[in-house]
Amino acid sequence: MSELNLQGLDITNFRSIRGHIHAPLDAKVVLVHGENGAGKTSLLSAIELALTGGVQSLLRADPAYAKQLLHRSAEEGSVQLKCLDGGNAREFGVTLTASGLGAASALGEPLAGFFRERTFLPQSLLGQLLQIYQESGNDADSPLARFVGKLLGLDRLDTLEAGLKPFGDVRNVRKNVDGWLEAENEKARLDRLLVDQRKIHSTADEAAKTALAELAVLCKDLGLPTEIAEASLDEVARALEDATDAGEHSELADQQRQLGAIQREITAAQSALPTDGLASHGDAQGAADRYAHWEAEYGGRLSALRQRIDVLLPDASLPSDPEAFSTAALARLRTEQTQLAEQSVRARADIERHAAAQNERDVALKQRDTIDGEVALLSTSAGSLGSAIAELTSFITDDICPVCDRDFSVMNAGSLSDHVHNKVRTLSASAERLLTLGRSRSEAQVTAERLDRELETLAARSLTAEVIAETERRAGAVSTVVSELDGLAAALAEGTLLRTADVAARRIVTESQSRHVSLAAAGETLNTFALSIGAPPLAQGESFEAAVSRLGQQLAGEASRLEGRLTLRRKGVDLVSAVRAAVTRRQEVNERLKADQAAWGRADAGLQGAQVLRDQSNAIRAAVDTVRSSIIRREFNNRLNLLWRDLFVRLAPGEPFVPAFRIPVAETQRLQPKLITEHRDGGDAGGTPGAMLSAGNLNTAALTLFIALHLSVPKELPWLILDDPVQSMDDVHIAHFAALLRTLSKEHGRQVMIAVHDRQLFEYLKLELSPAFPEDSLLTLELSRGSRRDTLCVSRRFAFKEETALLSAA
Amino acid sequence: MSASPLIQAIQARLALAGYSVLPTPFRIAGVEFAFTGAMRGRDGRALDLILLIDTTTGDFGDRDPARVRQRIEALSRALDVTGSRYVVTAILAGAVLAEGIETLSETCRVLQVDGIALNAEGEPVDAVTARQLDDRIRVLLPLTLPEAVTPAQDGSASAIEQLTRVLPTTTNPALVEALIAGSEKGEQAVTDAAALVISGAFTVVPGEIAP
Repeated sequence: MSELNLQGLDITNFRSIRGHIHAPLDAKVVLVHGENGAGKTSLLSAIELALTGGVQSLLRADPAYAKQLLHRSAEEGSVQLKCLDGGNAREFGVTLTASGLGAASALGEPLAGFFRERTFLPQSLLGQLLQIYQESGNDADSPLARFVGKLLGLDRLDTLEAGLKPFGDVRNVRKNVDGWLEAENEKARLDRLLVDQRKIHSTADEAAKTALAELAVLCKDLGLPTEIAEASLDEVARALEDATDAGEHSELADQQRQLGAIQREITAAQSALPTDGLASHGDAQGAADRYAHWEAEYGGRLSALRQRIDVLLPDASLPSDPEAFSTAALARLRTEQTQLAEQSVRARADIERHAAAQNERDVALKQRDTIDGEVALLSTSAGSLGSAIAELTSFITDDICPVCDRDFSVMNAGSLSDHVHNKVRTLSASAERLLTLGRSRSEAQVTAERLDRELETLAARSLTAEVIAETERRAGAVSTVVSELDGLAAALAEGTLLRTADVAARRIVTESQSRHVSLAAAGETLNTFALSIGAPPLAQGESFEAAVSRLGQQLAGEASRLEGRLTLRRKGVDLVSAVRAAVTRRQEVNERLKADQAAWGRADAGLQGAQVLRDQSNAIRAAVDTVRSSIIRREFNNRLNLLWRDLFVRLAPGEPFVPAFRIPVAETQRLQPKLITEHRDGGDAGGTPGAMLSAGNLNTAALTLFIALHLSVPKELPWLILDDPVQSMDDVHIAHFAALLRTLSKEHGRQVMIAVHDRQLFEYLKLELSPAFPEDSLLTLELSRGSRRDTLCVSRRFAFKEETALLSAA
Repeated sequence: MSASPLIQAIQARLALAGYSVLPTPFRIAGVEFAFTGAMRGRDGRALDLILLIDTTTGDFGDRDPARVRQRIEALSRALDVTGSRYVVTAILAGAVLAEGIETLSETCRVLQVDGIALNAEGEPVDAVTARQLDDRIRVLLPLTLPEAVTPAQDGSASAIEQLTRVLPTTTNPALVEALIAGSEKGEQAVTDAAALVISGAFTVVPGEIAP
């Protein structure tokens, strides 16, 4: 730390000093004397101005004090202070003009602050100290707390602490930080949206997986070698649509017909066995007649019916026997009928649902628009306006409006305060309403979006009206045919009987004629046929019936196998399209998810960044608390009180009570010093200094507090500059005070500068502060001024003089 | 002549503080002055002349306030005459009337020491008593300043600087700067500054695509 020493001061036209004066300051003690108004305070505040660039006590009284600094009779002035910093000369100063301060070269912070707070005690500050004692309260806003806080630099910490307080509670954060609430709402909305979409995504995914698994089983059943995966769907579809099975199936139908023909041949050949040739011939004739009769009656209808069924069921191969035909056709037709009915029911349900969903969506959109409308009507500032008006209510005493001063009673609408209360209620209701509306709006939005998606799905699978009509037409045709078949059932049964009888009878006749030829040929044909279908030929001794039934069974087995395969293929194709639909939906959802996820990420990143800053704000606030507590404890309990007591006892040895600060031991929210007095020899604390000390000792307490504050920190500037501090001290104290000043000057290296107005005190101090050793020095400055002449500053220097008076003694 | 234990205790304490005993009687301006005890300081206190007066058992009229005053007034006049700058302090050991102190203090600094419990060796019985004695004559004793603190805890460094020192280095410097700037303007300024910095986190980071 630099050991700055004051060397000299040049003042021109500053405050009450007129003209130019030079005041040497290069002594350990500088005593300034002058009548009131001679310029003592001006001299000392000139030092403050030169060192700090301002005069704090004047600033407190008048923020525009700079214009008053120039002596009123002059047009320009200056203050120049010379100091010695080790061996180097330093100059501080400022020029004065009528408009204020000119160019300045002052000490930088924190030295300037140290000077203001701990080096220079202007009269106003001493006055303030006294006032503080007399009015000291206990709360954090007491003048004492404010003064000490200011002196310790705690006021800014208090400000920081109070200013950061709102960030502890997230509700206040929402209120204070723009964008916080919006980000939170956006994030919550996106959260809900994402959850919905993920659900849709997983449903679609699940559907695709299920369909794929089914498809895999199905393909395995079909023996398709294709690998089943979403990527290879095209391949799978191609494999499923392969026409081999269909081809085989129609071939098999041909073969079955061939077998039927062969069977008939064989039966015919066999039935012609000449056992009862004649009888059977007559029977044959009767049967033929009966059958012809039946054929004439029903044959046309039956063949027309068969044609229609062939059109309806092009794939089916139906037996020719009327009853068998009827049974098989009915079975196939009923299946077809059920399928068609299901198709049309689903199509209709889809159409209805489509319409219903559209309506629902329209409703949701309308709700949203309504909410938007209402939101637009409600002022977003309703809440704050409400609270502002609520504060107004305390100013309303009658029907005169405090804002426009008009009389409300002329409105004839009740009392003004009722009106205002109603308004406040309405406004705060509006604020609450806004929150509710915000929630409802996002719900409506989500509903509308969900319905949009459903509508898309429905539209994708809806069938055109033509297809539906075609389906229904087909269903109608099928049911007509079915009912006709049902109606014909009895006739057909009879037809079958008759036909069988006829055929049997004829066969008997024909077979009897051509049995051997036919039978041989039939046997050959059967053998050939068996070989052609890959079955073993007729074994030795195997009857024709057995062979035919064996072959028939083989063919029927093959047919049912192929039919099963065809069904599986159709189902497979359905599954493929189901998988495709699910994949498409999943993809769409994926894209939306990606976009929403990104938005969510942005909102989240913003919130997290903000939260980090908020946490840091709270950490700063906690740090403020810690730092303040440590400053307070260090300053007060360990140092200041001890020093203060020592100094006070020096000046008032007869006073049993000494002043002290009591600081709550707990972590302090804010500085809450309490001034107390303690008995010097221990024991219980007394009352406040104002109650316990005499006026003189109160003054002593204030003065010693300032000196204690100066001494309790390292001496950054080794000066104590006191402006007339002993106005109301009695003589005893002045003697002790002089001894204290001497101690500070001669034992603690403080350059002491003190201004007094009392002549006697000046003389006494001059004696008491006389140089006591060779390097010691004392300067006196006597200021005087007349009404017409410039201020005069007469300086006298006292050097050390060996005391001889006592040497001659003893 | 043996002095009273209280006078001895005071002299011992002052000797410890660097004062030396002046043999009495001494002469100033040719006049002889006799006191129960006299001491003088050295260095910075070289001009301190301390007179010890035993108001209980002392000789030379110590027990009579009027005669004490007469003697001290005579001494000061002698000092004046020789142009001496000695500053006289009278220590009244033992009970004395308040008016006695008052009249005496017009002439010199007066300290009164009374009611100090001493043991057989003429020393204060315990630390409290020692401090009571010190308190009575404290103005003559050297001033001991509290231990200097290390610069890191330096009370003179501004509170704000101490605050910035304890903050973790990860703290956002823009936030700290804004808060400190705001703390000069008041609570609301601090709140607004913090809110502004925090709300800055919601503005889109450059390079990112706005929604």
